[in-house]
Amino acid sequence: MTLADSHPDTTPAEAVPGERFASPFAIRTPEGAEGWQSMYPYYALLSEERAESEDGKFWFFDGMHNPEPLYPFDTIMTENWWVAASQMSTRVWPVPPAGGIEHRIINGYLYISPSAVTDPDEIARRAEEFSERAGHYYENWDEIYEEWEAKATDCIKRLKAIEFRPLPDREPLESVLSHRGTYSSYELLTKYGELIHNLFEMGSYHFEMLNLGYGAYLTFQEFCQAAFPGITDQTLAKMVSGIDILLFRPDDELRKLARLAVELGVTDQLLGTEDPDAAIAAVRAHPNGPRWIEAFEEAQDPWFWFSTGAGYTHSDRAWIDDLRLPFTAMRGYIKNLLDGEEIDRPLESILAERSRITEEYRGYLPTEADREEFDGLIELARKVFPFVENHNFYVEHWHHTLFFSKVRELGDVFVAHDFLDDREDIFYLHRNEIYSALYDLIIGWATDAEARGVTYWRPEVERRRRIRDVLKAHPPQPALGVPPEFITEPLTVMLWGITQQSIDEWLGTGGEDGADDGQLRGVAASAGSAVGKARVILDPEDLHLVEDGDILVCRITAPSWAPVFSRLSAAVSDVGGIMAHTAIICREYGLPSVVGTGFATTSIETGQLIEVDGGTGVVRVIEEASA
Amino acid sequence: MTTTPHVLWIDDPEAPGNRLLGGKFGSLADMHAARFEVPPGFGITTGAYRRFLDAAGLTRRAEEARSQAANAELSEIREISAGLTAEIESAPLPPELETAVCEAYAELGTRSGQVDVPVAVRSSGESEDLAGASFAGQYDTFLWIRGVEELLRHVRRCWAGMFGEAVLTYRTEDEKPPPSDLGICVGVQQMVAARSAGVMFTLDPVSGDRSKVVVEGCWGLGEGVVSGGITPSRYRVDKVTFEVLDRDIVEQESKFAFDPGCGEVALVEVADELRSQPCVTDEQLHALAELAKRIERHRGAPQDIEWAVGEHGEVRVLQVRPETVWSRRGTEQLVGDRKSPVDRVLARFAGQRVVRGSGGA
Repeated sequence: MTLADSHPDTTPAEAVPGERFASPFAIRTPEGAEGWQSMYPYYALLSEERAESEDGKFWFFDGMHNPEPLYPFDTIMTENWWVAASQMSTRVWPVPPAGGIEHRIINGYLYISPSAVTDPDEIARRAEEFSERAGHYYENWDEIYEEWEAKATDCIKRLKAIEFRPLPDREPLESVLSHRGTYSSYELLTKYGELIHNLFEMGSYHFEMLNLGYGAYLTFQEFCQAAFPGITDQTLAKMVSGIDILLFRPDDELRKLARLAVELGVTDQLLGTEDPDAAIAAVRAHPNGPRWIEAFEEAQDPWFWFSTGAGYTHSDRAWIDDLRLPFTAMRGYIKNLLDGEEIDRPLESILAERSRITEEYRGYLPTEADREEFDGLIELARKVFPFVENHNFYVEHWHHTLFFSKVRELGDVFVAHDFLDDREDIFYLHRNEIYSALYDLIIGWATDAEARGVTYWRPEVERRRRIRDVLKAHPPQPALGVPPEFITEPLTVMLWGITQQSIDEWLGTGGEDGADDGQLRGVAASAGSAVGKARVILDPEDLHLVEDGDILVCRITAPSWAPVFSRLSAAVSDVGGIMAHTAIICREYGLPSVVGTGFATTSIETGQLIEVDGGTGVVRVIEEASA
Repeated sequence: MTTTPHVLWIDDPEAPGNRLLGGKFGSLADMHAARFEVPPGFGITTGAYRRFLDAAGLTRRAEEARSQAANAELSEIREISAGLTAEIESAPLPPELETAVCEAYAELGTRSGQVDVPVAVRSSGESEDLAGASFAGQYDTFLWIRGVEELLRHVRRCWAGMFGEAVLTYRTEDEKPPPSDLGICVGVQQMVAARSAGVMFTLDPVSGDRSKVVVEGCWGLGEGVVSGGITPSRYRVDKVTFEVLDRDIVEQESKFAFDPGCGEVALVEVADELRSQPCVTDEQLHALAELAKRIERHRGAPQDIEWAVGEHGEVRVLQVRPETVWSRRGTEQLVGDRKSPVDRVLARFAGQRVVRGSGGA
């Protein structure tokens, strides 16, 4: 329901090129998706009652975390960080100029709107509190980060311990003889509560130190941009980023396994088939096989809890769910080793290059005082960066993929109790609906009568599936509402790549089609230029289609795609900023990349010859695909 | 006097930094000694210039002219200049000097494998390029000079140029006229048939930022860029990573090149397909920036460099001189008040700028 429906005399504003985006209320429901709102919580929807504030805000599509229409269950992720990120800015620190980040779901797509504090007096008041609180964190950063790792690991351990099983026909004897007084029904409901709270807990840790980490980086960045106007973001990142961050570990583990396979002489078994299960069986049958299998199993926990997406949707599977991606990469490494090639990351030369760059820039500063400032700021940025880089692995990869696997386990419970046909269908239910459905299930179990859910949920899931498929076929506009005068909020710039420039680009094109004489602009995320055939990948499942020399064009890449990076000549994404996971990995692999183009996947077609300039952030179509 | 050579080759071990070669040419010899690619050539020394004035009986007149000009009206200066210039341009060279120049030119022809090898003839003043006085654009340069007669004529023109109005009225930064016995060397170098050429700076001349190399270039000879007659394309290159940060490509319809029709350097048309193309490839740009960085390191301070890219893509150094604007302006500190890094970050969160004047929130 849009405003236009209820107030025919107040027509919501349409987009005005160069001036504003369409009002969120001007967005029509695609035919066949009527009633999509019923899939989502009331507070995440636009409403007539809050229309005045909602209409005046600037909303951008968060394709980085949720490239597709949200599954009802997956809104748990957005709702989680809606609270977790916002509370840090408003209630915990408070961050002097930053307010919370609003979320709305429009046609199934997630739009967000960061708010700012603009009153100088208010900023000054907040700054005082902020200094004491944030100062404490900066001064004790290393100890706090150590505590953080322990908390995160413990949270994951407790998540792992949660198990969902169908309710028994009869309670086990021991639960009677131990006089506990609570039974499987209580346990099921309690565990579901634990599961939900566990995510909320991790969400809080996620943002505990993040804004501060970004702030220290941003301060160093701004110092350098003033001292060395035009210095590129990737150069800055190169000076600060670590070389042994956790996101590289999964790929490193594959190299280790490849090397072990060569040592143990089980390469034929691994290279002989593209089916991971068949390969594992073949290795097992080899006399040296068990040693490799042992190492393989050890590497899997935790390093294969590695999402093929941003970690916010259950549909991005992890390596552990689908071994094809890691096995493809491992086969590549084995072949390299057999050909006598080096497969290790050149850590020493990366480190040497990092100190060369740092030293040279330092030497170009005008005065000794400036050099001291530079030294202090880079030291602080490097101190906070392990958290900034590593939290991704703990939160988005390890925790989130494990979390979704637990939800699937719960899906099995619903299948066992005849509510659903497929464990995956649970994701068509919102988390609060699952609570109701569990209650329903428990009632059915307790009364030994047919639960309402047995006939209720299947048709509802089907209806929602149809709606979501329709929404998926209608890509969202990158931005809605009234653009802000300035974009200064650190998260917006660093994470989503939303800058004054990208807003202007979107505005100039009326927010519909970014292609301007075959040219797209984005954030220059990793230097170098390349020409190659475009390969548009919308689903990680299709990654195996990538051919040598292709330029990957995607909504967003995930670090776990890294193994196919060695086959690419460049990468282009619709969404993401300089600190997006993609950018970090691309730089590491020396792959030219342009992120945050807005429209690459809709304006570029597989087979077109395209040119990517990772230094300037420009992507050009050179030649149409041959028929 | 007798031991002072009239001619000194750029590759002579005595040449680097030798005062007899004047500022510009002495620097070039220094560049050659440091193994930078400098076109071959020789300098007709300041000693040769003084010997010429002596032989022509003009030494005293020259000194008088300069001291008179120091306090004269412009109209008087014009008269002094015209008279002396005409005499210098018509006076014969002493035989031993003429022989030395002719022999050197023949030797350059032999070295380059060309009879009547085209050369660039440039003034290189004694006080030029020295601290405090750049003399930029005050002295003469003649291009594509062929044959010994033409060479001698242009050497005399260079000498006469010492008494041009502009030089006579030139003042150092402390408002003093240059010394009255100022000498000059004339550099003679094999012409680089430049496909493209220009100047580059080992700092950003706009901001003074030392982490950049700014390259200005055009199709053809660099004279258009140096004299300001042709708007050059401009490239800003990161000196540390060699990323090309900005490219400002200017469409160029005509270029300076040797015109066989009139037998001299003239404005000729740029081929249609090249007009809107960058005049240097990315590889050449990288090579230029790397060269600039090496030259700066070798010279120990920011430099202005004239460069050319030959027909086969070879990069050559034509001129090197110390950068004067920013070096003289002195260093300005970026940060204002001193703060600990943590306090700086906290202040940034509160909306304060990280650096004085620019950047920040």
